[in-house]
Amino acid sequence: MSGEGPEEPRGPWDPGLQNERTTLAWLRTILSFAVGLLVLLRLIAHNSLAAATACAVFTLPLCAGIALVTWRRHRRTERSLRAEAPLPDGILPAAVAVLAVLGGCTGLVYVLTT
Amino acid sequence: MAADGTGGRRWPRRLYEVGDEPDPRFTLANERTFLAWIRTSLALMAAGVGVEALNAVAHEAGGPLRTALAVLLLLGGVACSATAFGRWVATERAMRAGDALPAPKLAPLLGFGLTAIGVMACVLLFATGI
Repeated sequence: MSGEGPEEPRGPWDPGLQNERTTLAWLRTILSFAVGLLVLLRLIAHNSLAAATACAVFTLPLCAGIALVTWRRHRRTERSLRAEAPLPDGILPAAVAVLAVLGGCTGLVYVLTT
Repeated sequence: MAADGTGGRRWPRRLYEVGDEPDPRFTLANERTFLAWIRTSLALMAAGVGVEALNAVAHEAGGPLRTALAVLLLLGGVACSATAFGRWVATERAMRAGDALPAPKLAPLLGFGLTAIGVMACVLLFATGI
């Protein structure tokens, strides 16, 4: 399972495009987050525009930040795969799981208060 | 321990202390499975909020069945995302130690639960005609 080109790091590391598929899965997940967030913000804006704006200022840059971290993680993974070094660890998955739980709790608050 | 010096700095440490580095393709597949669980949880949450938002926009009073359906969907979503990372860790540890992968405990619950929610949504649809 060694990389094919020892000199030229050209093309993907493996024919299964593991890293690319993983990054696309990350981007799909972030996109789901962003879409859900926009819908939730629209619903909150129905009740209070100020609360929706405050939420948006905090959470939309967070989505962009996670996308940026994902892109850096993709490049780090690609380097690690070629160097046969360990892959990135579990901090980003843990953070995203916490955000998903928080999102669900926000949804519960919305459902139970409207 | 991991083959190189970065093993000690990776988090969660109690995971990376066990066994050897697995095939990186399996680690990436595990990560994609984790992300699929997160997306599933997001879809459940979106469904829960959507069920409630439908009558909020229509200025209707939500019946108890509708609120129960929304809460059930949201709790399902929270359960999926709350257990997803633990499962990622357990799978990663099993691969490092060369053990069998953990059984997906939440999968049958999700399957049967979605069936129940589907029936509930049908009842709601016929009873209230959303």
